[in-house]
Amino acid sequence: MERPLSPFMFPTWYRFQITSALSILHRLTGIALAVGSILLVWWLISVAAGGEVFATTHALLASPFGIVLLCGWSIAFFYHLCNGVRHLAWDAGYGFEIRSAARSGYAVLAGTVLLTAMTWLYVFLA
Amino acid sequence: MTKATSLSDTTALRDEVVPRQVRQFGSARDGLREWRLQRLTAIALIPLSLYFAASILSIATLDRKTAADWLSSPVPALLVILVVLAGIMHALIGVRSVVLDYVHTRARLLAAELLFRAVAVILAGGAVLAVLKLFLGR
Repeated sequence: MERPLSPFMFPTWYRFQITSALSILHRLTGIALAVGSILLVWWLISVAAGGEVFATTHALLASPFGIVLLCGWSIAFFYHLCNGVRHLAWDAGYGFEIRSAARSGYAVLAGTVLLTAMTWLYVFLA
Repeated sequence: MTKATSLSDTTALRDEVVPRQVRQFGSARDGLREWRLQRLTAIALIPLSLYFAASILSIATLDRKTAADWLSSPVPALLVILVVLAGIMHALIGVRSVVLDYVHTRARLLAAELLFRAVAVILAGGAVLAVLKLFLGR
């Protein structure tokens, strides 16, 4: 059965909309967080193992590459969290109108930027 | 006295026409359970993940002993186990639904399914073991 595949639809047939862009971002950040959970579990294991394992893990996370990784992860986390709350509100039947969906979308973006900035300010100042 | 067919009449008519048996890949049959589990874990993860993120912010930058001490007290140990389990369940459902949208062959779907479940079980087991080891004293 020939079905249209959504990724092919986006650049050609769809006009850019905040709602669909954020929907795709929700999936992408979800996948990123799923991959990141491997690192999270690894970190827990390294704390339990201690010694060399923890030292290596800690060095990797504290390296510039690790900081970039953690930075990306924190953005993905806060975005997925904020947009997840938006999704839960939709599931409960609120905010379905196009205008409010767009408005809550911008609120999600603002929340993401704010929470990420606050987090990293805390890290570098504390 | 001709009354225009109401919406419910059309629906009733349509029920006769729409086949009861789903064709092709059909439904997965446990969609609702999964849908609810996805939302339940999402709600649980709001406080749990925020707690974890906030704790780790002040701990991850520090040495191993601080992190180990944190995980050896009961409340953090329990909450970390819960956040990992809820997170992995949530991630597994999410990743599977993405795969279901973009992978259209039975063999590949099955392969992805087995891989994701295996990874999820290994991650969950590893995390729980790690926390338990710290909690019960090394």
